[in-house]
Amino acid sequence: MEAIKFEQVHFSYQADEKDDVFSTDAAFSLDGMDFSVQEGEFVAVLGHNGSGKSTLARLANGLLEPTAGKITVLGYDAGEQKNLFEIRKRVGIVFQNPDNQTVASIVEDDIAFGPENIGVPREEIGARIDFALSAVGMENYRHSTTSRLSGGQKQRIAIAGVLALKPRVMILDESTAMLDPRGRKEVMDVVQKLNKEEKITVILITHFPEEALLADRAVVMHRGKIVMEGRPEEVLKKEDELAKCSLVLPKPVKLCRTLCKGGLPVSDAFTAEEAAARIIETLEDERVDYTRLKTVTSQDEETIAEKGETGGKGSVYCRGLSFVYSPSSPFATHALNGVDLDIHAGEFFGIIGHTGSGKSTFVQHLNALLKLPTAEKKYKPKRPKRGKPMPAAAALKVNGFDLAKKTTDFKQLRRRVGMVFQYPEYQLFAETVFDDVAFGLKNFVSDLDDTKMEQAVREAIETVGLNYEEVKNRSPFELSGGQKRRVAIAGVIVTKPEILVLDEPAAGLDPMGKEDIMSLLHAMHKSWCKTVIIVSHDMDEIAENCTRAAIFSDGKILAVDEPKNLFKTRAITDTAGLEVPFTARVVECLRDYGLQISCDMTLENLTENILKIAGRGGACMRSNTVNGGCDHA
Amino acid sequence: MRDVSFGQYYPANSFVHKCDPRTKLLFLIVYIVAVFLAKNFYALGACALVFLAVAAFSSVPIKSLLKSVKAVLFLLLFTAVLNLFFYNGGDVLWQWKFIKITDKAVYFTIFLAARLFLLVLSSALLTLTTTPIALTDGIESLLLPLKWMRFPVHELALIMSIALRFIPILTDETGRIMNAQKARGADFESGGLFKRVKAIIPILIPLLISAFRRADELGDAMDARCYSGSKVRTKYKKLKYGWRDLLGLLVLGALLAGMIMLRLHTPAVI
Repeated sequence: MEAIKFEQVHFSYQADEKDDVFSTDAAFSLDGMDFSVQEGEFVAVLGHNGSGKSTLARLANGLLEPTAGKITVLGYDAGEQKNLFEIRKRVGIVFQNPDNQTVASIVEDDIAFGPENIGVPREEIGARIDFALSAVGMENYRHSTTSRLSGGQKQRIAIAGVLALKPRVMILDESTAMLDPRGRKEVMDVVQKLNKEEKITVILITHFPEEALLADRAVVMHRGKIVMEGRPEEVLKKEDELAKCSLVLPKPVKLCRTLCKGGLPVSDAFTAEEAAARIIETLEDERVDYTRLKTVTSQDEETIAEKGETGGKGSVYCRGLSFVYSPSSPFATHALNGVDLDIHAGEFFGIIGHTGSGKSTFVQHLNALLKLPTAEKKYKPKRPKRGKPMPAAAALKVNGFDLAKKTTDFKQLRRRVGMVFQYPEYQLFAETVFDDVAFGLKNFVSDLDDTKMEQAVREAIETVGLNYEEVKNRSPFELSGGQKRRVAIAGVIVTKPEILVLDEPAAGLDPMGKEDIMSLLHAMHKSWCKTVIIVSHDMDEIAENCTRAAIFSDGKILAVDEPKNLFKTRAITDTAGLEVPFTARVVECLRDYGLQISCDMTLENLTENILKIAGRGGACMRSNTVNGGCDHA
Repeated sequence: MRDVSFGQYYPANSFVHKCDPRTKLLFLIVYIVAVFLAKNFYALGACALVFLAVAAFSSVPIKSLLKSVKAVLFLLLFTAVLNLFFYNGGDVLWQWKFIKITDKAVYFTIFLAARLFLLVLSSALLTLTTTPIALTDGIESLLLPLKWMRFPVHELALIMSIALRFIPILTDETGRIMNAQKARGADFESGGLFKRVKAIIPILIPLLISAFRRADELGDAMDARCYSGSKVRTKYKKLKYGWRDLLGLLVLGALLAGMIMLRLHTPAVI
């Protein structure tokens, strides 16, 4: 039986509801959509932002009404107002932001909310809470405070809240977009289990191709229509069609394709393990004796040598930094425990770690949002206790400023050390994009004439890839999500800081948006920004972009090294409870097959080194064999 | 951490903590009435004794209780000074030009201060021993009789509990926005009043916008979870009275009766 059926559904937002929609009127609307989901099926809906995929979820649950066409949900006509209650009982939605869908402060109260609404008797609600919590594996959190859970846990509670209604269909509307990789995995495991064991129909709306691979069927939406449909493995290898919809290939497929283009006809794979197996198979077919090669090292083996003393412009020198939140109270937490770190001028530095590892506390010290005790106005040096040596004071020098001194000009420091927080678009406030970007500049430089000001703002807006004339007088709130983030970044780089610190700059963006932001950062790094420091829990992002990275764990630094050494074995990452990047997993699998390969952990370098082993030279040399060698449709 | 300290709830497992929130609310209301019924120091002393007894069974440290008085200390002192100098009647003890202090004024001042002190302490004891959520549940349940007057009791309680839930989230968000604007050179600490008020705008606007966005999303999430007001709604958690509540109400009855007796049979000071 069909769980959900869309017949020629049209939908467009009314002009007055369009306040957060930008550019074309077509964004977020549906244009004659035919779509159906069978009961028990697991369907992934892919599409870039504004393709209409979230509208689909809201229509299926009756939160929105179609302007034309017919929607049938489990036999109920969604067009009839009286059916909405019955439909919502059977079709649950889990939304993107875990904080904004929890009603109560205590986990069990929140899960009870749904059953209470449909009038389930009190005794049965208890049983439903038991069922929902065990289905998401959170039995021990029944009496916890919702605001203290991790992102992944919050989202599992949101799923439990929907499950307590005993729905037949569950729609996940980008429910993993705001989570870290660990949380994402937690949620996806639960979703798969629900589909298999509870036979719940799942519609997974996502922009991560890796997640779509778990589904029975993938549907790609573009401009309010379905443009591709089929088994995920079929859909997710059509590179050109995906690119037309602003979507990217899953990483394993991308690796195999690039190898093909380099002349090694590797057929498509969808996991790191599979990719390694295919590569080995192909090498064997080509009669390359890969086991004899002891180690193949990359060409540019030169490491970033220690560049002597740090503490000057563009660098960070940190010794013995500790920090305690709410000291001398029962809630005191040691966020940092003696951190030593050198970041050299010219680096693209990564800071990795879980929530609560101390990484955010550390970066907030870099521009004195958190100050060393010795830099506080009230600080008076304490006399050491008799017989005990004076405790060593922490030292922190950033961009030539000594942050341990009270007399340091912290305002100048903040001008030179830019800080972009997570989801920076939520800090926009001014009436026009121009005013918002100019805000920092006005604060730092009091006597700037208008022409210089305009020039700086123009440069900043153009640096982030927006058209200055087009956006300067617009309200920042009417821009699209990705554009807002760019404006927010422009508001920080407008002072041309020598060090730029970014906390999860790509969080919540789709894969293409992520790539755009990263190439933006690289462009700035190449031209005028001496040092870029990014905080991230996406290992692929770190491996692809950073020259070196530090892994934080429990307020300490576990390791500082280049990605190729950090991810060489799982020893370090396992201790910190982190994943390894995709490239490291491929290298690991290849080693298991006896192929010793090393790479700097970027996808590009890995491809290059594999091609070298296969005796294929440059990536473009034998491009004419691409079609001949590969059996892609 | 914020969600623990806010609302000044002191986590413990005492007799008072385990009482039903309705009992505690009712207790507080009647206690306030009793304190106002007291017209001399005997009666006020009796009230103080009852308070001490309850406080002793709450395992809340005296320090936390006194902290709550600190917040209204200025008000206490201010009214005391006003009363001391401007109360008319009684024998003059001390005079300087038009300012005079009478014996009755001293009495009155001490009496009022003690009364206010007790009121603040007893309310603090309620919030120290009851979680905000339990309080909302208690208020909802106590207001239930108003339902036949078409007073939206359930809606009010839901609004209160959602507001409570979002306090830690919005506090965090405020901190984040402040940090972000500080990193862009904003200065909230110096300058005159006008400058400081102006400096708040870059915090206030993003915060408001975020609150509206969150409200919007929460509304959708509630709709999707079949929320349709209180028509068919059941309630999972039911408040239950226990022996502790009976004991509490007995003490309360005794206090009230005692107050009325004292009022009738002892002379009033004021």
